Amino acid sequence: MDFLMKLGNTDRRILYIILALAVLMPLISPMGLPFRVSPWTEKFYGAVEKLQAGDIMLMSIDYSIGGAPDVHPQAEAIFKHAMRKNLKVVFVAFVTEGVEFGNQMIIAAEATGKKYGQDFVNLGFAPGVEVAISAFGQDIYKPFPKDVRGNVAQDLPIMKGLKTAADFKLITEYATGIPGPAEWIRQVQTRYKTPLACGVVTMMGPQTEAYYQSGQLVALLSGLRSAAEYEVAMKAPGSATAAMDAQSMGHIALVLFVVLGNIAYFGEKSKKGRR
Amino acid sequence: MSTDLGVWVAAICTLAMFTFLYKDNTVFRTFQHLYVGVAAGYGIVFQYKSIKNIAWDPLTKKGDMLMLVPIILGLLMFTRFIKGYSWISRWPIAFLIGLGAALSMKAIETDFVRQIQATLIPWNSIDNIVIIVGTVTALTYFYFTVKQNSLVKGASTVGRYVLMMTFGASFGNGVMGRISLLISRFQFLFTDWIYIIKK
Repeated sequence: MDFLMKLGNTDRRILYIILALAVLMPLISPMGLPFRVSPWTEKFYGAVEKLQAGDIMLMSIDYSIGGAPDVHPQAEAIFKHAMRKNLKVVFVAFVTEGVEFGNQMIIAAEATGKKYGQDFVNLGFAPGVEVAISAFGQDIYKPFPKDVRGNVAQDLPIMKGLKTAADFKLITEYATGIPGPAEWIRQVQTRYKTPLACGVVTMMGPQTEAYYQSGQLVALLSGLRSAAEYEVAMKAPGSATAAMDAQSMGHIALVLFVVLGNIAYFGEKSKKGRR
Repeated sequence: MSTDLGVWVAAICTLAMFTFLYKDNTVFRTFQHLYVGVAAGYGIVFQYKSIKNIAWDPLTKKGDMLMLVPIILGLLMFTRFIKGYSWISRWPIAFLIGLGAALSMKAIETDFVRQIQATLIPWNSIDNIVIIVGTVTALTYFYFTVKQNSLVKGASTVGRYVLMMTFGASFGNGVMGRISLLISRFQFLFTDWIYIIKK
């Protein structure tokens, strides 16, 4: 019973060290634990896959730096898929950090020979959250008169024929909070009927599922795990896939902590009861 | 090991944040303030650019006088700092609240009608039955204005378990998200800073 007492009073810093090792070791020496592509990720992959070369897809990068490790790999994987299919991609952001994440992806694509203004454009940031999304839906150029490089948005070749949100073949939204799927569904999907697919931070997964099940979203990705699945679906494993072993080991460590914590708690409780 | 100054700054910032895991300390607090300051500065630059592109340039270069409305409303916000005139700042706030409320009206359709429609499904699969029973019992848990007979009590108890399972799923997702953050930092530290993990 003394052991249970000690177990229950374990210094939290020891738990941090165990967790850090559990996560770090598989990153240094990958174990190749298997995981399958979920039907949800397949749906997202299918939504991008069925677009034709030259179709224009919107990527609204609305995640913060804090949640980026969970969502950015999703956006990267989907953008790579879009480039592989020769789609045209328009980036927008309704949170300030989104602009830089869009720029990062664009710079990487430019290195492969794709052309800014023809294959993709970053229209930058628009303030106003839901109001801005609503304005964007009605007229793209009202909240985004210029792109991040100072060009008049309307003059860029990629923007030819684009006027409202209805002109996109697919809208994809990546979010860690507000604005997120709810705002896009309210202001764009319901009005313009453009297919909307979302990638969200893991925490938002359960609450966003309701929109997917009701058909308001055509596809949904949730967290790093979904990004890894998407990379596997594309047959192009990347950083998210490499992180899956670490994530699995981290979960095992946490489950063990919860189980041992409960054993210690109930053990101590029954000991006190006997007294 | 990286020779990039930016990578070193990011690595030092990351390690400073990790020091909190040992205990609260001055290094952690210093870098926390630094982070808040940088984030605020970054945000102000983008907001300034947006105001210039969306309102100021159309007003001054194209003569779009309508832009005076948001500019004046925005400036009125600052009356909050002027003693005796702070009440004027309520006008733009009232405008914003009105606008927000109007835009949110769409939620009646998207979050209410469509979600109810989504539960009007045939009882022909386990998934559908779980959705219907889960929704009805969870709502029953919050139904306080009816006599608590055995049927309502039973449904309410089931609803409580449904809610607990939902919270459990949210907690699990939360944990998963936090582990992702840790992985990302480790990937940065040991891939971009110290070359221990192969790219």
